[in-house]
Amino acid sequence: MNRPTLFAAVGATAIIGAIACSDLLPPSRVVSYDWRLIVPFDSGGQSYADTLSFHWPRSSIPVKIWVEDSFNLPDRIREGIAIWKPIFIYGEWDAVLVSDSTKADVIVRGIQPPPIGFARGSRVHAMARSCFGATDVDTGATRFQLLIPIHSYVYPSLPNAPDILQCMQIVAAHELGHSLGILEESPDSLDLMFSNPTVTLPSANDTAAAINAYHYPANMIPVWR
Amino acid sequence: MRKPTLALLLAALLPASLAGQARYSLAVGAMGGTKLLTDQIFEDIKVTQVLAPTVTLGANFPVSKRERAGFEVSFANWKSRVVETGEPTIEGPAYRTLSVTFGVDGPLFSRLTYHGGAGLLKYFPDKQGIFLTGGPLLLVLTGGVDYHFPLRAPFGLFARARYDYHRFSTDELQSAGFARTQDVHRVGLGLGIEYQRP
Repeated sequence: MNRPTLFAAVGATAIIGAIACSDLLPPSRVVSYDWRLIVPFDSGGQSYADTLSFHWPRSSIPVKIWVEDSFNLPDRIREGIAIWKPIFIYGEWDAVLVSDSTKADVIVRGIQPPPIGFARGSRVHAMARSCFGATDVDTGATRFQLLIPIHSYVYPSLPNAPDILQCMQIVAAHELGHSLGILEESPDSLDLMFSNPTVTLPSANDTAAAINAYHYPANMIPVWR
Repeated sequence: MRKPTLALLLAALLPASLAGQARYSLAVGAMGGTKLLTDQIFEDIKVTQVLAPTVTLGANFPVSKRERAGFEVSFANWKSRVVETGEPTIEGPAYRTLSVTFGVDGPLFSRLTYHGGAGLLKYFPDKQGIFLTGGPLLLVLTGGVDYHFPLRAPFGLFARARYDYHRFSTDELQSAGFARTQDVHRVGLGLGIEYQRP
């Protein structure tokens, strides 16, 4: 190698060495509300509470959702999936609509929720201005099961209200948030997972809650009934 | 792309005596690379690259008694893996990369020649995960060596080692709040055939 070539090679190596010292810096994902489900129970006369966390296992992705074809609900749920999916940059969660309700992991109906028919768990609600939503989290007999399919309800309380379309979009996305693993409501009115949601997209808090739900060890396992 | 067009134009404008000594090459091989990113959400998460098959086309022309200048177009078919502590490793998005680099080749020792260059690298991914909104176009620096085995003129074989470096990020990562860029180093080995116009 002649001298200019040698200098060029050494120079190029030095430049690469000088700039090659950077790593992507991940964002901080501080969660301002607990996404886990707190379920009280009695044992031997004493009151206790279980803190239950859930996320869909990798083998269940994409989650299969059956949606009742009323009030354009399939479109609303598709929009909800499109809102939540980009949050999961490692492919932790995805969902598709299916036509056979017997093969669904989540069933979304456009009716008022029936009376609670399970002993343990919780029904989480969303009350917007002109529509309503609910998702049943049935924790089964052992308290550490999540009985599948999860049932969600999205329906218009004022079908002719001028904001009904946006209301249904918000509530559908909110209930989808519950069915993917955010099992409690946010106390912040600027979050999509607030109990009376008004925002159309997941906030930074909602995003952090969803991501944390998928990387925190789940102690509730899905059991198909 | 403007740069390949420019190179071809320059090649066309070379004196006929130099253009007559154009050397064309085709190489196949495999390439590995360092991680695309690391993250921590309760546990450490890493997105790694799996060894990728590569095809490289090149052409160069003499620019002095010893050095040759030219370009290389390299295509690789990659897979990625998401490795999270305590979780099963899963397949991440698949992607292809195409790089177009311009550089210089020259003699080192005996039949060994060096290569150094720079150019552009484009990711063509499955649109999912960190590539949901598509792949980036990045600056790439490259270097390496070729060992030449002359056959019957004008053909020859060569064995090749290549290194390249780029800084990786995607729009998806930026909108997820990732800052800075990730150094990605890639090393490839290949075998090829070359043809030099007499």
